[in-house]
Amino acid sequence: MANILSGAPSLAIDIVPVLARPMLEMSGVSKRFGTLEVLREVSLSVQAGEVVVVIGPSGSGKTTLLRCINLLEDYERGIVTVDGEPVGYRLDAGNQRVRLPEREIAAARGKIGIVFQSFNLFPHMNVLQNITAAPVRVKGISRAQAEARARELLAMVGLSDKAAEHPVRLSGGQQQRVAIVRALAMDPKIMLFDEVTSALDPELVGEVLAAMQQLARAGMTMVVVTHEMSFARDIADRIVFMDDGVIVEQGKPEQLLFSPTTDRVRAFLKRYNDRYRI
Amino acid sequence: MKEFAPLLHGYWYLFRGAEMTLLMAAAAVVPATFVGILLALAQVFGNRFARSAVVGYLFVIRGIPLLVLLTFVYYLLPLTGIDLPPFWGVVVVMALYYAAFMSEVFRAGILSLPRAQWDAARSLGMTRQLMLRIVIFPQALRLASPPFVSLCANLVKATSLVSIVGLWELTMASREIVERTLAPFQIFLGAAAIYFCICYTLALYGKYLERRALVGH
Amino acid sequence: MPLDPHFIARLIPALIEGAEVTVELAILTFAICLVWGLIVALAHSTRGPLSWIAGAYIQIVRNTPLLIQLYIVFFGFSMIGFGLSGFASGLLALCIQNGGYMAEIYRGGLQAVSLRQYEAGRALGMRRATLYRTVIIPQVVARIIPPMTNQAISIIKDTSQVAAIAVMEMMKVAEVWVESSANTYDVFLGVAVIYLALTSVAGLAGKLFERQLAFAQ
Repeated sequence: MANILSGAPSLAIDIVPVLARPMLEMSGVSKRFGTLEVLREVSLSVQAGEVVVVIGPSGSGKTTLLRCINLLEDYERGIVTVDGEPVGYRLDAGNQRVRLPEREIAAARGKIGIVFQSFNLFPHMNVLQNITAAPVRVKGISRAQAEARARELLAMVGLSDKAAEHPVRLSGGQQQRVAIVRALAMDPKIMLFDEVTSALDPELVGEVLAAMQQLARAGMTMVVVTHEMSFARDIADRIVFMDDGVIVEQGKPEQLLFSPTTDRVRAFLKRYNDRYRI
Repeated sequence: MKEFAPLLHGYWYLFRGAEMTLLMAAAAVVPATFVGILLALAQVFGNRFARSAVVGYLFVIRGIPLLVLLTFVYYLLPLTGIDLPPFWGVVVVMALYYAAFMSEVFRAGILSLPRAQWDAARSLGMTRQLMLRIVIFPQALRLASPPFVSLCANLVKATSLVSIVGLWELTMASREIVERTLAPFQIFLGAAAIYFCICYTLALYGKYLERRALVGH
Repeated sequence: MPLDPHFIARLIPALIEGAEVTVELAILTFAICLVWGLIVALAHSTRGPLSWIAGAYIQIVRNTPLLIQLYIVFFGFSMIGFGLSGFASGLLALCIQNGGYMAEIYRGGLQAVSLRQYEAGRALGMRRATLYRTVIIPQVVARIIPPMTNQAISIIKDTSQVAAIAVMEMMKVAEVWVESSANTYDVFLGVAVIYLALTSVAGLAGKLFERQLAFAQ
């Protein structure tokens, strides 16, 4: 994504041209936890450069959906394809699901960046090591190159001075921005965000949302699970509403948030409006 | 002060005994740690057969006194024809015994890592081997260090049991002096003081590690 | 000649006799130390010289081997002319050591039940006695059952060391039989099985106790 050699100014992320084929394709994904059906034949298509925000009540399956994309959660039915390549399972000649070998799954995960609610930085490494560990050891990039890229990305989110610090010394907002950078360092084709501001103090939320806005404007394909409605309205190209394991409705923000066609969406938004006022 | 004369005369002998104690403990700690890690890995990652085998081993070893194992290896070993010097015989027994306790400590360390760390490592495309090497084990070992050090101190104390089967170390040395000088209080107190110095130092180190392990979690 | 039924038929009653002594020692130690350990823990929690003495006591008995403590008690007392029997010395030494360990268990349990529980209760207007009775004590008891169970198992195994001062508990009986017959293997098997039975019973009792307590809440 970044062109270190071009000497291009501050935008470290290139604009990605829109491809005809979707960047992310999920078809018929079903998952159950014991007897509980968490995802029911969910299908979702995300174009390159598109920002899709998933909203819905808790227990609707939105986090599980995200985690199925890079096979952090296993699913019983369905196929996930990122950038044309299947992740986790592929269809053989007889249209049966076949699990891919672990090596390929790991490689596919390298193309999918994910940021978690609880940051999940490695506490025993400093910020720079956190960011460079995967590029160096998984992709085989030279340490010098990885570090240069890391510093570039850190500058982009305004954390250049924290490169040698350990995560424990950073605020929640700073840790989350480092987590975003760590995922970006692998040059992913798509970035997933799982309620990344839910665990933050309110005054730290802004800096993380700003970083995500930067990414969106630079053309990164993003799937964001959040309940920050105003942020959803600002950043989303499309909003998807999930409830009870299915996609109930999806559409452009103005359309879905202000004139939804389904009762369930209306009820959900009303409850939200009563509390927060979009 | 005159009463402590036997100790003043014999303390050098006790120190040499302590040397042997430390040698024995050091010789046992290394294989114990190694086997302990293997047992922990088998329990966490192994198949059902491996896991049951390990659980069975732990149950037996932790339910029988070390002295029983030492005594019977001491009597059994000559019969099996294995030509092993007694020193190594007891070292092997102690290593296998403490490996059981260490495996629990390591297993707890691995399992107490939040799932989130595994998620993050996997999401970055790391293979299991890489993930274990640079993310899981460094943290698990850090968490396991305080109880591990505590086990090491127990091992040092356990070396005293080999005196019962006739091997020479600090406790045996003190018994010898007591038989000669008939001054059990002073001599055994002296031996206790030496053990105390070793074990208390380890305990303090363990406390230091405990405080360090809490930082950053 | 392993697994000789005639030999085993003669062996088992003798081992059972020794096991009776083992169990006696273990139960007495555990019961006495439940009280003694509490006393030491309470002394340790005060402010002043008593706390320091209790603290030193705990550190000393935790960092010296049981065997040395055993020798000090046994030989030391006979030197003063106070001649304690093997059983009594063993009991005394075991109580001295486990008093220290149990004090630490009590301390851990008390610390774990957080200060906030106490504050919350007081804020609700509870009197201190009621607060302790209905909130603090039940939680402390629930928390210390697992480590106490482990301590009980540890005590059962430690009784084997009393063999060193010729008390006819099970280990000593076994030693005598091994020395007077060639059937080391059978003796080992018998001893191991009985110790495993004893420690398993202790472990199960602890788990049952835990379950009962959880049920009652």
